[in-house]
Amino acid sequence: MKRGGADTRLAYGLMAPALVLIIAVMAYPVAWEVWTSFTNFSVRSEGRAFVGLANYRAMLGDPLFWWALAVTIVYFLVTTTAKLALGLGMALLLARPSRLRALVFLAVFLPWAYPGGVTVVAWYWMLNPPLITSYSLVAGTLKHAVDSTLGPGAWAFVSVALFNVWRGGSFTAVFLLAGLNAIPTELFDYAALETRSAWQRLRHVTVPLLRPFLALAVFLSFTGAFADLANVWMLTGGRIVFPVIGTYAYWLGIRQGQFGEAAAWSLSLVPLLALALLVLFRWFDPPAERPA
Amino acid sequence: MAQVLMKDLNKKYDEVHAVKDVNLHIRDKEFIVLVGPSGCGKTTTLRMLAGLEEITAGEIHIGDRLVNDLPPKDRDIAMVFQNYALYPHMTVYDNMAFGLKMRKFPRAEIEQRVRDAAQLLGIQELLKRKPRQLSGGQRQRVAVGRAIVRHPQVFLFDEPLSNLDAKLRVQMRVELKKLHNRLETTAVYVTHDQVEAMTLGDRVVVMKDGWIQQVGEPLELYAHPVNKFVAGFIGSPAMNFADVTINDTGGVVTAESQGLRLQVPPAKAGALRAYKGQSVAFGVRPEDVHIATGADPAGLTFDAVVEVVEPLGSEILLDVRAGSSTTTIVARVEPTVRSKVKDSIKLAVNPERLHFFDPKTEQAI
Repeated sequence: MKRGGADTRLAYGLMAPALVLIIAVMAYPVAWEVWTSFTNFSVRSEGRAFVGLANYRAMLGDPLFWWALAVTIVYFLVTTTAKLALGLGMALLLARPSRLRALVFLAVFLPWAYPGGVTVVAWYWMLNPPLITSYSLVAGTLKHAVDSTLGPGAWAFVSVALFNVWRGGSFTAVFLLAGLNAIPTELFDYAALETRSAWQRLRHVTVPLLRPFLALAVFLSFTGAFADLANVWMLTGGRIVFPVIGTYAYWLGIRQGQFGEAAAWSLSLVPLLALALLVLFRWFDPPAERPA
Repeated sequence: MAQVLMKDLNKKYDEVHAVKDVNLHIRDKEFIVLVGPSGCGKTTTLRMLAGLEEITAGEIHIGDRLVNDLPPKDRDIAMVFQNYALYPHMTVYDNMAFGLKMRKFPRAEIEQRVRDAAQLLGIQELLKRKPRQLSGGQRQRVAVGRAIVRHPQVFLFDEPLSNLDAKLRVQMRVELKKLHNRLETTAVYVTHDQVEAMTLGDRVVVMKDGWIQQVGEPLELYAHPVNKFVAGFIGSPAMNFADVTINDTGGVVTAESQGLRLQVPPAKAGALRAYKGQSVAFGVRPEDVHIATGADPAGLTFDAVVEVVEPLGSEILLDVRAGSSTTTIVARVEPTVRSKVKDSIKLAVNPERLHFFDPKTEQAI
């Protein structure tokens, strides 16, 4: 057992640098944020005082919070469904051997590989043309039509969701393609021999085998949607026509300087993230399937 | 159950001509083995039969149907893969039932067939497990069971035993043979292991570079290889080869090389006379070389020095150098022989079992 003790100490020693780094860049800021959420830290007042759960109480009592939460959840559900469907379709196409594969791969990969800041401006101009042309008339009419049918803010929602799917779909495709390539081809050969239709193959073979990758894609999409700030911010020109939790927290903290409240808003995502992780881990790695 | 017919079958990839003019008639209920070194086209041939590879040219018939344009699912075949191809997300039962479920068989019949196959293979206890909780041998059984439940016209096996350890491989080999005797379903089996080929096949197809070299019953291939490749590929330890020069002195045809001077038996002498003065490849199997006794005529013996002794228990392998030459010959001798390294001994060959091959075409003479 003496040997074991030395090994354990060595193991901790080897982990130490990584631990220090994690504590410095993750644990400390998070702890600071948790503390701040219990204070009235703000640019509007001197000093900061412990206010207990006041920030959380204010947040939960704010109809805007519930609105933002609902929008965030719908945004997540809509974009994730679309990205998974689109990404899986593209990945399955790319997995087939073809002479044009390299070209298609490039086309699929570009939206994701291109700098986000640039593409988002392109989308912004496409949806809100900076110059008056006949196109801007079309864009304007479209916006008006969508907003008047689905309610104000719908156009913003649609455009942000479209951008997210366009950009995230290609990432999901690349991601799932890697997953497909990691699955032994014999499993698909066997499916070709035994299944009666492409749908059976997808449902009984491809999707179950891709499950770990799909779960990770859902989780990435989840965190992306909930923390989404940059895309929403830039596409809506910094106006809160489209409140997701991430944007509103940014608005509160950076624009209005109410750090305490902003911290509470950000942290409201933690229970949801934890729940999502739990569900996804259960889904793609059930305890019963672990090696006996 | 069905016969399988391949006519002028070809497979070309961009650069590689993988299968060349394969013509093969596999009889109903036959167990046929395709064997050859890697890259010989055996697996490609099997995959074309399964429908997993497109046919470049030629025809494949299963039963009385031309299947060239039939998708794999409609060919009524069941395949066992090298890596078993079990679905990790399904239990053994679900894996075995998969093909039948997809084909919408009634639940009771699926259950019956899976239970029967599981009993046949001795895996009833494993039905509720997931593949990753099984050993290699157990997975292999599940993969075979999954093929059996389908009651297909033809079984296809793609190197199914090559991931098992040596002992298990021998055991599964026997089981597969018993299984085939019992089910009597036509089977096409691909392997690179000539021992598997010889022990399992009713007939064996030896392939190399996309060509069929020889088709025949195991012992026929062993005794009468049509060319040097088949002669060297079938049999373990492999056939001994030496380059010899053919001489004809007064009607006595001899094959000579440094340290070796053998009188060619009359049966072969006629054909070999045409090679007079030329070099040909001479081959003799290790068991056809024995310690010379007084009864061996002088023209069939040669002197040798023992270089390595490999006592295997039931027999001893002697690696010897013939006379002063660099030619090494392996002799398979009785376990009672007491030869040591560096011993000088006299060996004799069995005249009925000498092989000669054309130096250019490598065809048997």
